[in-house]
Amino acid sequence: MSSLRATLDGSMRYRGHEGQLSFLLHRLSGLGTLLFLTIHILDTATVYFFPSLYQHAIAIYRSTAFMLGEIVLVFLVIFHGTNGLRIALFDFFPRLWRPAPEKRSVGWVLAISFLLWLPAAYWMGRSLVIHNFSGG
Amino acid sequence: MTLPPPVERRAPVPLNFETLAWLFMRYSGVLLIPLVWIHVLIQDVLVGVHAIDLDYVAMRWATLGWRLYDIALLAFAFAHGMNGLRTVLHDFIHRPVHRRRVDALLLAAWFFISAIGAVAIVGGVRAP
Repeated sequence: MSSLRATLDGSMRYRGHEGQLSFLLHRLSGLGTLLFLTIHILDTATVYFFPSLYQHAIAIYRSTAFMLGEIVLVFLVIFHGTNGLRIALFDFFPRLWRPAPEKRSVGWVLAISFLLWLPAAYWMGRSLVIHNFSGG
Repeated sequence: MTLPPPVERRAPVPLNFETLAWLFMRYSGVLLIPLVWIHVLIQDVLVGVHAIDLDYVAMRWATLGWRLYDIALLAFAFAHGMNGLRTVLHDFIHRPVHRRRVDALLLAAWFFISAIGAVAIVGGVRAP
């Protein structure tokens, strides 16, 4: 696992700027989404295997901590898709694989992800406040 | 930073498992953008977790189209995620024998969890 230490150490020191940032965000958003997806498949499967447990699983999802996590998760999913599309698009036009277009495109991906996320975050945040903070 | 412009190079790509896995990631990735985003938009943003219970799931799965949608989601998203995890792990595990063990473990986990999800979608909601 020396390569893991090299990665953790190197990721802090290596100044790869936008390209490195998008690489790290792509991996972390992918791994985070996979972790959630695994739990989500298993808790949804209770509707068939242990139907009486489903309401307990849903009760956890309704907690404030999970709803905040859900808002973060939605950003990760939007970013992962937008950034994946950027990579696919660059592969169609290999001339784009140069530092300047790469840097610009990472900025665009972050901006588009943020703009797509804002209305979703607002709507989910509104639901969180209504259900968990106003006695509703 | 002045780099020479990239020069197009062509190399023969063997049609092996890694090539197929790469192609799967690219095609499933593009497909998952509408599939996952629409799922998240409907369930997390518009409907919301406070409106979701056994009755809601039963109502949704009463439509065959939504069951097929969820099967596609399960098949493509989980395989895409598990192969992504495999890619990340291979960056840290180099010895072929260790990689084979990790791959076997991931394959078993992928099959087992996919099967659980698929049985639930096909079997549907049961009375508690």
